[in-house]
Amino acid sequence: MFQVSREFAPPFSLISPFFTVGSLLYLVAMLLLPTFGADSVRYDISVVAWAHLFLLGFVMMIIFGAMAQLVPVVLEVGHFSVDFYYLIWPLLAVGTAFMAVGFAFLPSLLPFGGLMVLVSMLIFLADTILTLKKVERISLTVKTIAVTNAFLLLGILIGFAMSLAIGAGVGVDIEKWLGAHIVMVLGGYVTLTIVGMSMVLLPMFGLSHGFDETPVNRAFKIMSAGVAAYFLGALLDSDSIRFLSLIALFIGTGLYLWQIWLIYKTRARKESDIWFKSMVVGYGSLAIALILAPIALIGRLETLALTATWFLVMGFFTFLINGHLYKIVPFLVWFERYSPLVGKRKVPMLADMVPKKAAEFQFWFTAAGLVTAGVGLLFGSDELFKGGAAFMATGAVFMFYSIRWMINFTEGLED
Amino acid sequence: MSKKITKEQVFDAIRKVVDPEVGFNLVEMGLIYDAIIDEQNNVKVVMTLSTRGCPLHQLLMQWVKDAVKEIPGVNDVEVEIVWEPEWNISMAEEHVKKALGGGA
Repeated sequence: MFQVSREFAPPFSLISPFFTVGSLLYLVAMLLLPTFGADSVRYDISVVAWAHLFLLGFVMMIIFGAMAQLVPVVLEVGHFSVDFYYLIWPLLAVGTAFMAVGFAFLPSLLPFGGLMVLVSMLIFLADTILTLKKVERISLTVKTIAVTNAFLLLGILIGFAMSLAIGAGVGVDIEKWLGAHIVMVLGGYVTLTIVGMSMVLLPMFGLSHGFDETPVNRAFKIMSAGVAAYFLGALLDSDSIRFLSLIALFIGTGLYLWQIWLIYKTRARKESDIWFKSMVVGYGSLAIALILAPIALIGRLETLALTATWFLVMGFFTFLINGHLYKIVPFLVWFERYSPLVGKRKVPMLADMVPKKAAEFQFWFTAAGLVTAGVGLLFGSDELFKGGAAFMATGAVFMFYSIRWMINFTEGLED
Repeated sequence: MSKKITKEQVFDAIRKVVDPEVGFNLVEMGLIYDAIIDEQNNVKVVMTLSTRGCPLHQLLMQWVKDAVKEIPGVNDVEVEIVWEPEWNISMAEEHVKKALGGGA
């Protein structure tokens, strides 16, 4: 039994640091957010520092931690070597800190931070690729993992080259490659990973069955082509290719949202728990971003583009990740501490292992902050942006508390 | 020779196995398709899961096996997971459908 358990659910001691560090860096990033204004968000180099703190320290940290658990679930095979994950989080955490400080104060730190982040991601990629080689049943999710990891590799190599340019004066045209770095990592890895994972997780938690998967299959192909074309556009320095690739990404995102609607319509489980509410705000934010982004692209409206990015990153990414933490962390804790007791004594259900009040506070503060700060960005209002950011920071305090509460859950184990 | 055990006994035993995510037992979820019992009281449980990638896959199989083994007189127990027919909510008992549907 131990062999089996280890294969499908890695030890909690391995995964919990990803969630603790990820939620801590999320809290730090959110506490820093009110120091920005609606205008400074656009031009300040400290924004780049903040973006790396948030995206590497929170988004990537949590995704990698979740992948330790989710890769075996969605691929239906065990990790090649899950022990690799013991190296990933410290390298990523220290690398992120070096990069954030490097961008904000000390550019010479950037190559060191960049190298640590690169190595941590290469370790992650090595385990994922070697695990993929064991897969026998090729589903859409398997394909998305293969493709997204290729995009991640390209994206981080471009990022590392840019860190060498800023920190060590290596000749890399940052203007030319910045867009490709963002599209490869945020579009090619984060968004497409969410697309693939959601096709397993949303039906699993919502008990949805019998829905048509044509929209997501098309979305995946169109979005992958869009990301690859953007890379080509950067390589050839062609605005037309970049424009068309973004249009492809918008069409793919629209099809993906249609797929989510089909899953929603066929769900058997209709409770409105914290996970479900987080999904509603997350996908609602993606829909808002999808409405704003094409208008911004065609009209070359910078403020609208920034607002679309806000809803993509702070709405879609953040709510999808936080919402799933309320499912993944209790499961891992339950698996580690309570599954050996099944049949011997009463064990809690997973829903009992979520701090309901703190989770509700986290949700409402973050959602209110998301909308308020988003409106602030759209209308250039510092007051609204800072007010919304303060709400989000308060939400992050409850998020960190909730994560620690779930990780430390031991009810009924004392006697 | 022990008394021949019945399918009802097997299903009743499996009612002790609860899915911790949804909070219902596997029988009321409609996940247990059949229990085949031979003359020697060897039992083969045919079941499915609500999703292919269920991380509790192996543990659920073990819990079902352990639960059936507690029936007095049972001999060997085998658990087979099948994916046809694919599980859907219509296979669950009425009170489960009602509870999952938010009381609708």
